[in-house]
Amino acid sequence: MINKKSLQWIAWVLILPVLLIRGFTTIYPILKTVINSFYDIRILSGVHEFAGVSNYLNIFKDQKVITTLEFTGVFVVVSMFFHIILGVGLALILNMKFKGRRFLRTIVLIPWAMPAVVIGMAGKWAFNNDYGLINDLVRRFVPGFELHWLINTGTARAAVIALDLWKDLPFFAILILSGLQFISSDIYEAAKVDGANAVKSFFYITLPLIMRNVLTLCIPFTLWRLTGFDLVYSMTSGGPGEDTSLIAYRITMEAFTNLNVGYAAALAVLLFLVMAVFSWFNMRFMNRFED
Amino acid sequence: MKKKLVSILLSAALTGSLLAGCGGADNTAAPAEGGTEAQSDGGAAEDAAAGEGAADDAAAESGSKDGAYDLTLYTINSTDEDFPDWLANVEGATGLKINVIAAPTDSDTRQQKITTILSTGDANVDILEINDEMSASFKNSGWLEGLNDTVMTEDIRGEFPQGYVADMITDKNGQIIGVPGYSGYLAFWVNQQILDEAGITSMDTKEDFVKYLEAASGDGRYGYGGSWEKTYVFNEIAQFVNMFGGDYLDWTNPANREAMEFIHEMVEKGYTPIDQIADKYEQMNPKFNDGKYGSLFMWGLGTDYDKAGMLGADKIHMAMVPQFSDQKYIFTDSWSYVLNTASQNKEAAVKFLQYMASEEGMKASYEAFDRYPARRDVAEKVVPDTDPAKEMYSRYANECVVKGRPMLPQTMEFISAMGTIFQSYVKDEMTLDEFCTKAQEYVETYNQ
Repeated sequence: MINKKSLQWIAWVLILPVLLIRGFTTIYPILKTVINSFYDIRILSGVHEFAGVSNYLNIFKDQKVITTLEFTGVFVVVSMFFHIILGVGLALILNMKFKGRRFLRTIVLIPWAMPAVVIGMAGKWAFNNDYGLINDLVRRFVPGFELHWLINTGTARAAVIALDLWKDLPFFAILILSGLQFISSDIYEAAKVDGANAVKSFFYITLPLIMRNVLTLCIPFTLWRLTGFDLVYSMTSGGPGEDTSLIAYRITMEAFTNLNVGYAAALAVLLFLVMAVFSWFNMRFMNRFED
Repeated sequence: MKKKLVSILLSAALTGSLLAGCGGADNTAAPAEGGTEAQSDGGAAEDAAAGEGAADDAAAESGSKDGAYDLTLYTINSTDEDFPDWLANVEGATGLKINVIAAPTDSDTRQQKITTILSTGDANVDILEINDEMSASFKNSGWLEGLNDTVMTEDIRGEFPQGYVADMITDKNGQIIGVPGYSGYLAFWVNQQILDEAGITSMDTKEDFVKYLEAASGDGRYGYGGSWEKTYVFNEIAQFVNMFGGDYLDWTNPANREAMEFIHEMVEKGYTPIDQIADKYEQMNPKFNDGKYGSLFMWGLGTDYDKAGMLGADKIHMAMVPQFSDQKYIFTDSWSYVLNTASQNKEAAVKFLQYMASEEGMKASYEAFDRYPARRDVAEKVVPDTDPAKEMYSRYANECVVKGRPMLPQTMEFISAMGTIFQSYVKDEMTLDEFCTKAQEYVETYNQ
């Protein structure tokens, strides 16, 4: 009789390749990034020396990073707020029965399927005062309308957030829609018999039943916003000044353009911690919600 | 038991195939490691020469392995319609088979990719084209091979623009690290139709320029246009500082302040639009073609204007830079071909570079890409007198103080930081004093 425990080594052998690959591609880079964050590594200046926590302290003195953190916060909060509100709204529309529903569900995903860099480049032109389609459209209703979207902090930030929503909102809505489709129509019919109108049905039936779905989706969508880089990179290059710079964009600039590897690593570690803390809170909130 | 046996066999096969897959990378990893070693040895000629023997062996080995290419070129010109003809010309003349990798068209992406290739000792690319910003950053890094003894030899060295070679592509050991692919000026361009309309016949002085700005601006049109995106505006700030006789690397200089006040005034008076702070060249040039701008500073020979049918003596053309101070000032630039220190194909690479530095190579580039030859003697021979650039380029060379752009080792960081505060200044978010103080701080920070 073979002892099952004595065969456990086989299981370890079987998962060893995955462990090795994971260790090499995930654990090692994370450890290396943490180590680098304690060094002053400036490749162009040939500097590579231990710096303790000075990279971390510099983050909070660096105006570029402070502006970046500020916009990253605004971007994540505003974008996620509208993702939830408009996403649920769009999902409700897509869940209605009307002619061409299937067609609409298909074409609504087109922006999401396009590469963010392409959308960013198109966005740069779309928001151009002279040649852009946004102002061209507005001018059809408000002749003489002039707005240089990408030169003022507020409007440039609004443009970036709007483009982000335009791209990713449909995907969020489609995923909410999948949750909506699990709600039995019997419940709505029963509520209708009891005198509930559409608004009440939404708040007392639909919303509670899709809430878990929404909260689950909020985790990856928020993390994607936190690591968002390509849209800003191709649309505004973080400008005007650093006003539309996102943290992932700043990390890329520090790491690959300025070659300040140590500083970039400290920023990356900070982002990693923020993401980890956010995910932990979100999971806890979900568990409480379930309870 | 049978099931278990089959499972173990299948798993072993899977593991074996995975490991075999990993092992396959060994052959390609070896040259890369060699490359890293060569790079850490520095760019000194003797080290490079010592590395060449090994490199040749490796090249021969790789040649016999795939037999495909003698060297790999990382180029910005591959999207040009004449590129295939140019490549055929180079391959025919050198006998080399060249593998071409297209560099990204976006400047940030391109710089990041090239930086990554060079800094990691990637031996897959032998020759790269780099601009002044990259030259300033990389020339003392040891990533680029010195070419004094092989390509930029004494007999031809003197024919290249001397100030440019010394300032931009010579490293701290006196080694020239690149072959300038062309000679370019940050030329002053005007729209003749607007000049005629404004009744301006000459623009020799600052007063003439201001008169033109006044006359040309209004009704959605501006006397001067630019691309003031934070990484592009550097050229124009430096150009105006130069014209006022200032020094871009000394912001205590009163002439710098004067230049900045002048730019600010242009915005205030509506001679130039503030919305161009979002513009790169691809936004600026269509506006110039559409007659929204009366003048601007721009590199190149006007290909974008030509494509729009706007290039010509009666439309958009180059003009002499107005004189704002004691002399006329102009910047020159180039993209240089450089040899990656980690290259395993140095012999072939040197052959390629020798051709690019020769009369035939420069002629081929001029004919294919409209690149004005960097060598003075070649330009004299190759460029026909009918080429409108020839006259103006020769006037620039003779009448202006020609300078390389002021760059610091941390080039892109410096350029971006200066662009950011410039945008704040022209948007009145910062005073002139604050701008100058900050600019001086940046000069000191990034000059380390």
